Amino acid sequence: MRSPFAYISRPRPLQSASPGAAVVYLGSLIAVAFLYSNPIVLLAVGFALVISGRLAGAHAAVRAALWMGLTLALLIVAVNALVVSRGETVLARLGEWPLFGQVDVTLEAIVAGLVLGLRAAVVMVGFAVYSACVDPDRVLRALRPIAHRSALTATLVSRLVPVAAADAARLRDAARLRGPGAAPVGRASLARRLLAGSLDRAVDVAATLELRGYSLGSRHPTAGATFSGSEATERRFTRWVPRRRPETIRGRRSRYDRRFYAIGLAVLAVAIAGKALGADAFSEYPATEIGAGVTTIVVATAVALSGLAPLRRRPRRDRSNLSNRRTASNSLPAGGGS
Amino acid sequence: MADLAAPSRATGPALHLEGVTYSYPTANTPALCDVSLNLSPGEFTLLAGRSASGKSTLLRAACGLVPHFHGGEIEGRIEVAGFDAISAGPGELAAVVGYVAQDPETQVVSTTVSAEIELPLEMRGDPSTSRARAVEEVALALAIPHLLDRAVDTLSGGELQRVALAAALVTRPRLVLLDEPTSQLDPVAGDELIWLLRRLNEEWGVTILLAEHRLERCLAAADRVIAMSAGAITFDGSPGSFLAWAQGVDPALETPAAKLFSLAGIAPLPVGVRDARRTLASTTAVDAGEADPLRTIFPFSAPTSRRQQPHAPPKKAREEGVRLPSTTAVRAKDLWVELSRSDDERRDVLRGIDLTIKAGERVALMGRNGAGKSTLLRTLAGLTNAVRGKIELPAGIALLTQNPGDYLVRERVGDELPGDAGLAALRIVGLEHALEADPRDLSGGERQRLALAIALAGRMDGDALPGLVALDEPTRGMDRARKDDLVGLIEELASRGAGLVVATHDVEFAAAFAQRIVLLGDGVVIADGPAREVLSGGWYFATEVARVLDLPGVITPERGAEVLRRQSGEES
Repeated sequence: MRSPFAYISRPRPLQSASPGAAVVYLGSLIAVAFLYSNPIVLLAVGFALVISGRLAGAHAAVRAALWMGLTLALLIVAVNALVVSRGETVLARLGEWPLFGQVDVTLEAIVAGLVLGLRAAVVMVGFAVYSACVDPDRVLRALRPIAHRSALTATLVSRLVPVAAADAARLRDAARLRGPGAAPVGRASLARRLLAGSLDRAVDVAATLELRGYSLGSRHPTAGATFSGSEATERRFTRWVPRRRPETIRGRRSRYDRRFYAIGLAVLAVAIAGKALGADAFSEYPATEIGAGVTTIVVATAVALSGLAPLRRRPRRDRSNLSNRRTASNSLPAGGGS
Repeated sequence: MADLAAPSRATGPALHLEGVTYSYPTANTPALCDVSLNLSPGEFTLLAGRSASGKSTLLRAACGLVPHFHGGEIEGRIEVAGFDAISAGPGELAAVVGYVAQDPETQVVSTTVSAEIELPLEMRGDPSTSRARAVEEVALALAIPHLLDRAVDTLSGGELQRVALAAALVTRPRLVLLDEPTSQLDPVAGDELIWLLRRLNEEWGVTILLAEHRLERCLAAADRVIAMSAGAITFDGSPGSFLAWAQGVDPALETPAAKLFSLAGIAPLPVGVRDARRTLASTTAVDAGEADPLRTIFPFSAPTSRRQQPHAPPKKAREEGVRLPSTTAVRAKDLWVELSRSDDERRDVLRGIDLTIKAGERVALMGRNGAGKSTLLRTLAGLTNAVRGKIELPAGIALLTQNPGDYLVRERVGDELPGDAGLAALRIVGLEHALEADPRDLSGGERQRLALAIALAGRMDGDALPGLVALDEPTRGMDRARKDDLVGLIEELASRGAGLVVATHDVEFAAAFAQRIVLLGDGVVIADGPAREVLSGGWYFATEVARVLDLPGVITPERGAEVLRRQSGEES
């Protein structure tokens, strides 16, 4: 079974966009989540990411990230409530706890935990949409000329993760199929076995990369250069030069790129301007104050609307053809045209 | 001097080995012993031999993985299309040689198919326009343009194997090396792959060196056969002369059709079905399809008269194979299983399966890749839940999945199977002597037996086996001798009262052990009957002997030879 966060190619704008455009768009939303503490804006970012993920068809990724994010948020709320005793509104006095000392649960600490948890959940949804919608091959290809070794490591890891996941699933199945008379297999034994297997797998994948010519790097020979086997080995007669700009084959350029660049940069600009104008008004202690002024509402609305960026544009109706058709049908005699 | 941009212009041998001896780093004996050979451009060569005979090592040496990747000691000289393969690494050789290994899972390094095929061109530095064209052309040649945008982890084994082949061919190499590429493919996909290679060989002039165990599948496509044993070349010649050599020296390498002819005393030995039919038509009057062209074209059409099947076994004999004990090993009724392939794609993998297997019965579960064979076994074993239907397993089930290594997690056989229950299971599979051994030191066949013992342990009542023993694709990468051992084990388990169900793509193996064949197609049972009937009633899911003779019920060389001898006796 595939991970819900695995990339799936779909004919949707976000998947078709170049990695740069997708990263600018999703990155700007994630940046706003880090930039702001106002829960209204954070909710707007979360809304935008959920909508964009759903419009891109990444339903399972969004669902899984929301589930994990909300679980994490609840944990943060609980820890914050127990650890932080600041705040005016004390809800419960739980006395002296070992390690924690005097524990007073305050409304403000709970709200502060909720805001922290909300931010964590929003960032998780953002990365889930990125993982499910941005082609890792295209990202790696873009990265390769800049950092060849890092790209090699990333390629190995990006391939090994699904292979290791499949191996782990198979080992779990085999452990379940062991007869009751065989020695039981614990998690530690399985983990050891998986690690040993992963090393073999890594060697296989590395061999495949070698056979694909990865050790040559992303280089190309000077036009007209020829070489024999021994010459190639010594690399005396071939001058390799780095490629300047990698290109992809499929969806080399997307018609949606400009839209994502524009919306991503606009979101960042609005967020920075809003921050400067006080749209991030929020204080947790000693009493919770959530700013809901005009600038906050404007920033939140703009950010929320940016979630519609992956909306597919419907084909434009040709008005001249439509009017011609109407004219033709109007001019037809009743009962047929012949 | 070879031109990188147009390697096909180069002349000279595609592969030249001279006195090559090679040992892996920790091995005591060499994997290759004084190997010398020359492959001319455009040759289609089949590499035959038992397991561990040195076939894979030879292929790795030809693509530079040996010694560059695996290390070890090497002597002699290897040249690939003019490149010195001992000093040049696999990266440099990638321009002139393509390599496809047995396991397609480990041969892909990208996320999408198009990126995977494009990678070698990108590494070579080809401009984007020529990359686009090359990817498109190789995808068209291999009939996979519809896969280009798919993620590699959504592909079936057959599709993945084609993608790996496309990535090997996209640079238009002069030499393509394939290590048992059909071992995980169903008979249809396997045949398609072999004839695709032949077409590429003829139309593109690619030199092909193919290592394979199921020789009957590819012998007819080959120009030349090289046999290996203990790291040395023991035969080098034409397919016809190879069969004559194998008959005398290593009968385990004989194809079923050749064995049929040698048992029936007919010469020359045939390299394929067409060859066999021609020889039969000219030497005997047996109704081998020539007399009934319609039966050859429409192999499923029933014979219209008794005259057209003069040697059909009597009804009693045909039913002999399905005389069963009355105890039920498993009964599945109206079984539906749904699996998700991706986020928004769920499909019914099993659709209303009804299946009953009796104790002591030996059943082969066959069908194309993705037909639902493994899912059915997993559902019977409780690894996958059915959305509808009922399963009755009165005496339990032991399932051995495709990778026996997954069952082995400890460093001593006795630690895997402690106590009396463990010893009883080891005794059943004949490994009670190996208590102190490290599972990694056992041979492939012994490891498989040990994994089966682990699945059986504690499920037996004394020495009585569980009601059903299921094996999923147990013959991947096995040579004929090891398959024969496995047939012996299956028969032994069945004779002790267990129902045996084995999912397999190997038609000849199924003919050797199965009494009954259940053929799945897209999640439904499309044929269920005695092995003799099912394996002689089709084209892809039929043994080579059945395809040669086209006689109902005749699927093994022994039975075929008996029919041919009787025929020639009647004529004389």
